[in-house]
Formats: sequence, C-alpha cells, structure tokens
Amino acid sequence: MRVLIVDDEAPARDKLRRWLAEQPDIALVGECSDGLEAAASIAHLQPDAAFLDIQMPGMSGLEVAAQLEPALAPMLVFVTAYDEHAIKAFDLNAIDYLLKPYDKDRLHKTLERLRGRRGDAPASSSSAIRTARAQTGSSERLLVPQGEQLQLIDASSIHWIEADDNYVHVHTAQARYMLRRTLSDLLMQLGERFTRIHKSAAVNIAEVKSLSPLFKGDHEVHMRSGAVLRLSRRFKDELFGKMGG
Amino acid sequence: MKGSTNRALFGLWALFWLLMIVIALQDDLGDASVKWWEPILWEGSSCLVATFWLVLERRGANHWNQYLADPWRWFGKHLAWMPLIAVTFIVAIYGIRHGVYALTTETYEHESWLYIFFYESVKLVLFAGLWLGIIFGLESFARWRKEREQLLTLQKHLAESQLAQLKAQLQPHFLFNALNTISSLMQVDVARADRLLTRLADLLRASLQASARDTASLREELKLLELYAQIMQERFAGRVTLTWNIADDALEAQVPALLLQPLLENAFKHGVERSRDLVKIQVTAEKLRDELQVTISNSESTLSTAPSSGIGLRNCRERLLLIYGARASLELTEQGGGVTARLTLPYTRP
Repeated sequence: MRVLIVDDEAPARDKLRRWLAEQPDIALVGECSDGLEAAASIAHLQPDAAFLDIQMPGMSGLEVAAQLEPALAPMLVFVTAYDEHAIKAFDLNAIDYLLKPYDKDRLHKTLERLRGRRGDAPASSSSAIRTARAQTGSSERLLVPQGEQLQLIDASSIHWIEADDNYVHVHTAQARYMLRRTLSDLLMQLGERFTRIHKSAAVNIAEVKSLSPLFKGDHEVHMRSGAVLRLSRRFKDELFGKMGG
Repeated sequence: MKGSTNRALFGLWALFWLLMIVIALQDDLGDASVKWWEPILWEGSSCLVATFWLVLERRGANHWNQYLADPWRWFGKHLAWMPLIAVTFIVAIYGIRHGVYALTTETYEHESWLYIFFYESVKLVLFAGLWLGIIFGLESFARWRKEREQLLTLQKHLAESQLAQLKAQLQPHFLFNALNTISSLMQVDVARADRLLTRLADLLRASLQASARDTASLREELKLLELYAQIMQERFAGRVTLTWNIADDALEAQVPALLLQPLLENAFKHGVERSRDLVKIQVTAEKLRDELQVTISNSESTLSTAPSSGIGLRNCRERLLLIYGARASLELTEQGGGVTARLTLPYTRP
C-alpha cells in the first residue's frame, strides 16, 4: 500500500514515518508540510492512502479533501489534536481518524481498517470527501493545475464550466483550466453559485447577462464575457428559478 | 431612555393643566359676573409661561443630571433660578392677561401689585416644588434603569471572560499537540522528550497557580511565556525565531495574571501556524515614566487574518477595562508585514 503523510509539524511527521516504516506492506511515497503541497502530491503520486493533518497553514486537511475527485482520491485518514466538530462528523460517517497523541496499537488498528477497505476504496474516499465538504461548506476557492503546479482561484472568478470526457474545462476571464474531475462532483463542491445549463456545461449565475429563446424551448445564454452558450430545456426551469424568474 | 422620561413628564403636565382649566371653569360656572373665557385666559396664560420654563429646564437635562446623585445640589441648582422665574412669570402672565382684556370691553380687576407679587410667588414656589419632585423622580428612575442594564451587561461579560480565561490556560489544541510532539521525540531522544515534558508540566503548574490570583509580576508572566514559547518552538522547529527585549526596571511591574499568554498565542496562531515562511516573534517590555508598555509582534501576517474581535482579545480588553478603566489600552497595528499587539497599563509595584 502506497501512503502519503501530510502534517505541518516535523515531529508529528517523524513519528508517523517511523511507525509506518515498520510495516512491510506499506511504502511511504511522500511527505508534505502544507495543504497545497498535499493536493499536488495526491495528484502526481496517486497514493492508495493519505494521512491528512487538519490544522495546517494555507489549506487545512479538510479543505484539501474537499477539493478531491472521489473516483481518483486516496483513502483518507484525518489526523488532529482537537477538533470537536470534525470528530463528531467523522464518527457519524464512519470516517477514519487519528487523535494526537496516538499509540502504536491505535495506528495498527487504522492500518488494518485501510487494508480491509482497499477493495472498496472509492466508496471510502467519497464518504470522507463528502464529510469534509460538509465541514468546510461550499468551496470559495478551487484548486486548478497551472503548468506543473497547483494554484487556488476564487470560485467567483469562474465564468462557466464545460465537461469533456473525464475532464472539465474551467473558464475564467483570463484563462482556461483543464481538471480531471467530473462535472457533477465539481458542481457539488462549488455549491449554489453554479447551475447546469445542459448535460455537459454549467454557468456561474452571476456571469449570465441575458437569455434569448430558440425553438423547441431551448434558449441561448449570453454571458457577460460575450460567450454564447446553449441552454437545454431540461435545465431551463432550474436556471430561471435561480436567476429569480 | 431620555425620550421615555420626557414623554411621561409632558403627559402628566398636559393632564395637570387640563384639570386646572376644568376646575376653574366649574368654579365660575354659576357666577354671572365672570365671562366663560376668563378662567381659560387666567389658567392658560399661567400654563403658557410655565411650559416655556419647563421646556428650558428639559433642554438642560444633561446638565442637571450630573447632580442626580446629590439631591440637595440638584434641587439647590434649580431653586437658584426661582427669583428670576418668579419676576418674569408674574410680569409675563399679567402682561398677557391685561393685553387680552384690553382687546375686549371687560376690565381686569385684581388685588394690589404688592399682594399679587407675594401671593403668586408663594404659589409658584409650591408649584415648582411639586414639579421638580416629579422630574427628579422620573430622572432618577431612568438613571437607575440604565445603570442596572449596564451592570447586567458588565456582569455577563465578566462571567464570559472568566470562563474564557479558564479555557485559555488549557487550550486543548495546544495541549494535545504538545503531547504528540513529546510522543514523537521520545522515540529518538529520550532526554529531550523528558525536558519538553517537564516544560509542559511547569507551564501547567504555573498557569494553574496564576489563574488562582488576580495579578502577577511581569517576571512571572514572562516565565510563563517562555515555557509556552519553548514548547511551540519544538513543535514548529525551523519555522519561528523569538527575540526578547525586556528592560530590567519593568520586571517587577504588576500585571493582570495570564493576560499576556493569549497575545503570544495569537502571534503563533496567526503567524507561525498560518505561514510556510520563517516567522519572527518579538516580545518587548519597558517602563515609560509611570506606564508599563509590552509589545508582542509577529511577522508574516496581516490584521485581516487576525480578527480584532477574537474572543482572546476581547477578553484581554475587558479585563483591562475592569481593572484600569481608561488608563490602560491594547492596540493592534500592522507594521513591517506583520502584526504588533501593544499593551499599555499603569506601572504599579506590589
């Protein structure tokens, strides 16, 4: 099992590394000291499991989890010293977590659970990601690839999103980003600000300028940026409702 | 509060004069020598001039209210105006009455001016006494209500800040992370883990002792800060440096117990824990004439990431207000890419 360690405190990483090294079936693939680095390592190294500290500079462990695509995410184990709310949520959703300080027996129990879940890893990850999103609320920022690196952009700066096979294209005023995400999961992460206009596209409601009818109940969506998109009649009512009539 | 006092007062006033006019009308109803409008003119002119003086009194309500705690002075300050009021009152009402009578065929007959002057003055003093009593009662009640409200808010905040103070000494997050650091260190360096464990025990002991007292010397408070900083430096090794600039003559100053630790905690929380770069924390203390000034500053953060409404800061400010009133202050400023907390309080020694 390929494992990633994420914690901003060096002594905490040391302890986990030392104990994981004693396990013959576990290979440590990387260590990260902040959230952004963790998200990049998860994307590049594609570990089977990640130990995510919750309190970190930049992005918390929960925020990192909220940005992951469930189908591609590793199994997650949250690590925290004290976080009443998150722990309550983990308990309710059977999410694995470690409370600092923990002893070797407790870590072994977690590893046993991870081994047992490997067959059904996506279900385990998506439950952890859903719980993390419920804790952090709709993401105000989205993690996007920028060359070799990842960066955070404001969700409000996104004009529209287009699905393309296993990828989505995220359009902003300045750029277009390609992410390996599904449109429906991305919309779930970003919340109410966005709405679908047809099977493979969604818009930022605040960026819609006007609508003009086509035939058969379809419409054209005119964006503030000048782009013109098609609104299928299946999603008409939802967009009209969200735009206030 | 002021509005409701005046509403009640003018309501009573209107009722009083209505009653006076009705009684006067009733008195002279059977008297053929008196025209129906005459009692209205007599009472109305008195009402008009008295209302003028009442309005003037109300305009100066804030001035009078400063003497509310001392009834003798409050009444004395009011009654000092009586001679002037008596003369202008008598001149004004008789002026009005003679003026109106001059417009009719009737003549206004009354006693000699000397008699009137004494008669009206006595009446006026009794009348003023009655109404000053009412005003004093209403104002005192309003003040009592306002003070009780303030007291209740203060008590609520005090209870909250005491609670927050209790919580502040044992921040669970800090405690558990420190324990985890020790748990990690003891795998590789038992002596260092042992030292850190002892520091943690010292810190707990010192903060438990401090929370049982109201004040401590700056020397004791700094000891607490040092223990806290040592543990944090172990957790965030390589991410933070600390500098201490403490003037010797400041060390014996008395400060509220456990007031400084939340400020250092903020410097770590908003500086070190949020930044990937090396953070410099500086603690200074000096005696400036009759004041003690303590500053705790950290680099790599802005005020927007350190909300000034945080419970820790509010707690500090309320304790300062309770103990020192306006003589102490706690200010947060942004300077040189970081945030500085500057605490100023009166220099006192045991």
